[in-house]
Amino acid sequence: MDFSSALDFICKEAKRQGADDFDALAGESNSIGLDLFEGKVKNTEISSSRGIGIRLFKNGCPGYSFTEKFSKEALAQTVKDAVAHTLLTGPLDLDLPEPGVLPELDLELWSNELETVSLEQMKKLGLALEASALAKDKRIANIPYLGVSRSSGYSLICNSHGVRYSVKGNSIFAGLGVVAKDGDSTKMGIYSNSARSIDEFNTTFMAETAVERGISLLGAHSINSGRMPVVLSNRISPQIISMFTSPFYAEVVQKGQSKLEGMLNTQIAGDKITITCNPHIKGYPGSRLFDGEGVVSAPCPVIENGILRNYLYNLESAKKDKRQSTGNASRDYSGQVGTGFSNLVMDKGSSTLDDLLAASPECLYITNLEGSSGCSSISGEISIGVQGYLVKSGKIVHPVDGITVSTNFFTLLKEIDGLSNEYSDTHSSVKVPDILVASMHVAG
Amino acid sequence: MENTLAQNIIQSGLDRGADFVEIFEEEARNASVVFKDKKVESARAGTEYGIGIRLVYGFEVLYGFTSKANEEELLTIVRSLALSKGISADTQKPPITLAPVSVTDIHTVTQDPRVVGQEHKLPLLKRADEAARNYSTKISQVSVSASDMVSDIYICNSDGLVIEDSRVRSRFSISVTAGENGDIFAAREAPGSMQGFEFLEGLDCEKYALQAAQRAELMLSAGYIKGKQMPVIMGNGFGGVIFHEACGHPLETESIRRKASPFIGKLGQSIAHSKVTAIDDGTIANGWGSSNIDDEGNPTQKTVLIENGILKSYMSDKVSASELNLPVTGSSRRESYKYAPVSRMRNTYIAAGTDSFEDMVTSVDDGLYAKKMGGGSVNPATGEFNFVVEEGYIIEGGKIKGPVRGATLIGKGHEILPMISMVGTDLELAAGMCGASSGLIPASVGQPTLKVDNILVGGR
Repeated sequence: MDFSSALDFICKEAKRQGADDFDALAGESNSIGLDLFEGKVKNTEISSSRGIGIRLFKNGCPGYSFTEKFSKEALAQTVKDAVAHTLLTGPLDLDLPEPGVLPELDLELWSNELETVSLEQMKKLGLALEASALAKDKRIANIPYLGVSRSSGYSLICNSHGVRYSVKGNSIFAGLGVVAKDGDSTKMGIYSNSARSIDEFNTTFMAETAVERGISLLGAHSINSGRMPVVLSNRISPQIISMFTSPFYAEVVQKGQSKLEGMLNTQIAGDKITITCNPHIKGYPGSRLFDGEGVVSAPCPVIENGILRNYLYNLESAKKDKRQSTGNASRDYSGQVGTGFSNLVMDKGSSTLDDLLAASPECLYITNLEGSSGCSSISGEISIGVQGYLVKSGKIVHPVDGITVSTNFFTLLKEIDGLSNEYSDTHSSVKVPDILVASMHVAG
Repeated sequence: MENTLAQNIIQSGLDRGADFVEIFEEEARNASVVFKDKKVESARAGTEYGIGIRLVYGFEVLYGFTSKANEEELLTIVRSLALSKGISADTQKPPITLAPVSVTDIHTVTQDPRVVGQEHKLPLLKRADEAARNYSTKISQVSVSASDMVSDIYICNSDGLVIEDSRVRSRFSISVTAGENGDIFAAREAPGSMQGFEFLEGLDCEKYALQAAQRAELMLSAGYIKGKQMPVIMGNGFGGVIFHEACGHPLETESIRRKASPFIGKLGQSIAHSKVTAIDDGTIANGWGSSNIDDEGNPTQKTVLIENGILKSYMSDKVSASELNLPVTGSSRRESYKYAPVSRMRNTYIAAGTDSFEDMVTSVDDGLYAKKMGGGSVNPATGEFNFVVEEGYIIEGGKIKGPVRGATLIGKGHEILPMISMVGTDLELAAGMCGASSGLIPASVGQPTLKVDNILVGGR
C-alpha cells in the first residue's frame, strides 16, 4: 500500500474501531551517501524507510502505536494496539486543532536539483576534500572521517477534525575529521556542513578549516585552576544552548523539572539576550508551517532583553495553562508528542569576536566541547572538558587542553557580558553568536 | 523471507561482481508504558520492519535498506548499489547453495512480552513511584517506565549461511527529581536484561527507586569539589562506562581500520597495569548486551581484550577482520536493519581483582570517590574522554567525607589504563545504551571498584 493510502486506511480503521478522536503522522525518508578513506570509497549507503504512527482517544484517554509495515493487517493491528492502550491511560484534556490557514511562505526546504546529485558527484567532492586537507599541512596524519550524503524526508499529518498537511525537505551533507599529529600531540579538526545545493560547498575552505582547527590545537597544554572570563566560540555556543532548551518547555515546567518555573516576565538573563523561536526563517532546517500536532506555527519570543516572555507549548501543556498552543509540538511517527524549538535564534550583538577576546586582560577562548554528559538540563549544572586557547590582551598565547570548566547554565545566562555580530556558517536550526561570559571556574 | 527470494537477491549481487552479499531482515515489536506525574503518561507499541542488503567488494561496503519488502524493490537496491560502483552488466556466477543453521539458544525467556500485555506493567510502575515518593518530601517528580522489545531476525549470505534468531529484551527505568530552595536534581536507575516479562515481574523495583531517590536528595546538599589532578576511586557497575568509552571503542576494529585508535599495533604489548584484565563477553546468559549470534550470523564469543595488562585481542566483524587479517570475534552489531553492521562491544568489563575497598580508601590522602558514574563520551582518534560523576564524595586523609556535585573526569584512555593500580573484588555489570556508527545498541558495562592513581577532576 502506498504512503497516502496507508494513512487513509488507518484513519478509517480508527473510526471503525470506535476512536472518538485521533491524529496520525506518516513519514518517509530516503538517503544516499558514502564515506571515503585513503582515496577510496569505504562505505556506500542507499536507504528508504517509512512508517505511520497514530494517537487516538477513546473516552478521552489517549493511546499510541506505530508500524513500518503497510499491509492492511498490520495497519489494523496498529489501531487495535492504540485502542488497547487507551484502557491504560487516564483522560487527557486537549482539543485537536481544526483545519487552519497556513502562512503563504516558501520556507525553501526543498530543492529539485538536489535530488539529481549522484554518488559519483559525492565521491568527487569527498576526494577533493581529502586531497585539499592532505595538501594543506604535512602534520595531517590521517582523515578517519570523511563523508558526503544527501537525504530527503516527506511527512503527512492528519486528524479527525479534517486537518491534513504535508511537508517535504531535503539537504546535502559533507564533512571531514582530520587527525593532526606532531610528536606526542594528537588533535582532531572537524568541519562539516549541510547545504541546499552541492555547489554551495567550497572544498578548499572546508578542508583548510578542518586542518586549521586540528593544527592550531597541537601542543596544547593545561592552565592553572581558577576563575576567569570565557569566550564561547559560535561553533560551540549553539551546542551549549541546545543542551538547555527543555527548561523552556511548559510541560517540563508543569512537572516541576524546570528552574524557570514562576519566572515569567522576570529577568533571567543579561539584558543583551534575546531568544526567539522562529519557524519561518527561509532555508533553516527547523522551519515549518505547522507543528507535530497540526497546529499552525508562528514566531514566539522566548527571552526579550533578558526577560523570560514565554514558555513553549503543545496542545496538552497549553490546555493545562488555559492558553493556546505556541505550535511547538514535536513528534515523529514512532514517538509520542513532546515539545521542541523549531529554530532557536539568539540575536547577535554588535561586537566582533576580536572585541570579545580583547575585552579582558586574560580569557579562555573555548572552541571544542568534549561531550555533553556533564550538563544537566534539570539542575542547570555544567561541568565539562573543553579545548581552546589562552588569550592575553586579545592575542592567542597557546592552545589549551586537559581542563574543565564549571558553572550553572542559569548563572551563565546572567553573566553574559557580550555577544559577537556573527553566527557560525553551520546550516543549523540553532543560531547563537560568540558569547563572552564574565567568569567561569576552570580546573586544570 | 523465503529462502528462494533471498537466494535471488544474493545471486543478483554476486552476478554484479560482489565478493560477499548478505540479507538482514528484521521485524521488531517495541512496547512501553511510562508512568509520570502520578499517572500513566503514555502507553505505546509499534512494529519496526525492514530489510538491509550488504554488498562487499574487497573491503568496500555498500549497504541499502528498505521497509518495502517486495522482490523488485530489493533487486532495485542491489542494482543501485552496484551501479554506484559503475557496474551495470550481469556476469552469471555459479548459483549458491544455502545451508540453514539452527541457533543454539543460551537465553531463557519464559514470558513473551507480546503475549503478556502492557497492563501487567502497571503494578510495578506504581510500586516504584510510591517507593520513591515516600522516601522524602523533597521528591518533586518521579518518572518510571517499563519497556520491552522482541526482535526477530533472518540472515542469509553468499557463504550459504541461513540463520534466524529472536532477541527479547526488557528494561525498567526510573528517574527521580528532588527539589529544595530553588535547586533541583535528578537521578536515574535503569536495569535491563535479555529476558521477557519475567525480568520485570521479578524485579526489586523498590530498591532501584530508593537508590535514585536517595541520590537525588543527597545531591541537593552536596558541595563542589576543587578541581585538579587527584587519585580517584571509581565505584563498581556503571563505573565501567569509562573503560567502555575510553578503551573499548578504540579496541573495536572499526576504529583500527580507520587508523583512529591509540591501540594500533599494540597487540601483545603492555597497555595497562598488570592488575587489569578486561573482557568483552557476548555469551553471558540473559546478559543485556548478549546474543546467540552477532548481526552477521557469527556465534558470539567471550573475548579477552586485555590480560594482566597485555593487549590480547581487538573486537572484530567480518570485513574489518579480513582487512586487518585478524580473527572474527562475533562482535558485529547494528541497531536495526537501518544500519550496516560494524564491530561493537557487547558486555564489557574489567575482571575482579583482590584489593579491598578499605585499602583503596585509606591509600588516598586527597581524592575523589566516584561512587556512581553518569554518561560520557570519547574521541577514539585521540583517546580524549569526558565523564560526569553522578554521585561523588571527597576523600581526605584516607576517609570518605561529604558528597560533591558537578564533578567531571577527563583524560585519555590509553594514559589512564597504566594508572589503575588497585582492583577490587566486587565486580558488577550494568545495562546501558551505546551509540556509534551502526546505531544505538544495548551494551553492558562493568567493573569492580578500582583506584586510578591520577586523573583530572573538573570542579570548582
